[in-house]
Amino acid sequence: MRIRTETGAGHHSISLAGRFDAHEIDGYRMAFEPLLSEPGTVVRVDLASVVFVDSSALAELLRSQRAARESDGDLVLVNLSDPVRIILELTALEQVFTTETGASAPVGVVADSSGRPVETR
Amino acid sequence: MTNTSTYQAYRAWVTEPIPGKPRISVVVPAFNEEWRILPTVGAIATHMCARGEPWELIVADDGSTDTTVELLTDLRFPNMRVLIADRNRGKGSAVRRGVLAAQGDYVLFADADQSTPVEQFDRLLDELTKGYDVAVGSRAASGAAVSGRSLLRRTLSRGLRVVVAVGFGVKVTDTQCGFKLFTADAARTLFELQIVDNFSFDLEVLYLSGKVGLKVAEVPVEWIDAPGSTVDAAKVSLQFLTDLFKIRISDLRGHYTVGGHHSVARAAGRRQAIVAAPTSVNQ
Repeated sequence: MRIRTETGAGHHSISLAGRFDAHEIDGYRMAFEPLLSEPGTVVRVDLASVVFVDSSALAELLRSQRAARESDGDLVLVNLSDPVRIILELTALEQVFTTETGASAPVGVVADSSGRPVETR
Repeated sequence: MTNTSTYQAYRAWVTEPIPGKPRISVVVPAFNEEWRILPTVGAIATHMCARGEPWELIVADDGSTDTTVELLTDLRFPNMRVLIADRNRGKGSAVRRGVLAAQGDYVLFADADQSTPVEQFDRLLDELTKGYDVAVGSRAASGAAVSGRSLLRRTLSRGLRVVVAVGFGVKVTDTQCGFKLFTADAARTLFELQIVDNFSFDLEVLYLSGKVGLKVAEVPVEWIDAPGSTVDAAKVSLQFLTDLFKIRISDLRGHYTVGGHHSVARAAGRRQAIVAAPTSVNQ
């Protein structure tokens, strides 16, 4: 799975592409957790290019949501691909997550394939 | 970004029975898959609905003791059948029940863990439309993309491959990949004959394919090891060797009588052909 992290003033986003399964959780977590350094952070996770999410990945997204909300922020799932949308429906998680369709934030930091943030400018 | 037409096709599939006979049947064996089955159903439904052809899903439960059956039956999908088993008999038993219940022109058997992504179906179907009777997903054929497979499993697989080729004359390099596509005739012929209830049924089916003269294509696929597998590779390999012996004995004792099968005449003039499809899989 490819992971790209973007940070901007007051908002952060992570774009995922490929298959999001248990093998990819560590990389995702490495990209996500640093974004919660300040209270009230909203992190948008763009899933437009995700072809499959397994139960481990869904559990990780729930964990991320809980962590964000505990610090008065939120996790927002953006641009659900067809398989993600359908899997969220089947697992009755569509109402649990905040979802939206929209553009991502300006590029500030990009993560490498393992999820480790890489400075780009 | 959501492709509206695919999602609409999915909504239609989960709300309205397909008119007439399905072109494709997807059979998924399931034993205690409550953790994995819904994402798998979602992935299969997305891809099959995107193809735009009538299809059905058959989940063949194998005596699950968790909530697998309840999760599926609660969905109440008109084009999905859940075959409930009273007890655990083995993967071969579940697949056999599923395949024999299938109504499609083509019957795909796919593992419940999505280790072979369902998108690989298209390349298997290509082979059947060229005239093959069976298309076998392969992790060993040139062009396959395999990730997450342990060294132990790779080593055991290579050893078993030699045994299978030498001892059985089965030229398919990966008999055990849980992703195989059959024409309706081939599916019925093979699964009415096969008797092995456990995971060695794959080998038995391919052995029988050669025996009745079906054409088998081996297709390289993408394969990702499904985390959480509880399979003990060494133990499974030992069981596999035992089953090889049992299959051979069963054949010698005449348990695979093919004379009465309608499709044998069709297959009789054919020589089994094993080929690796000249396609490649990108990582």
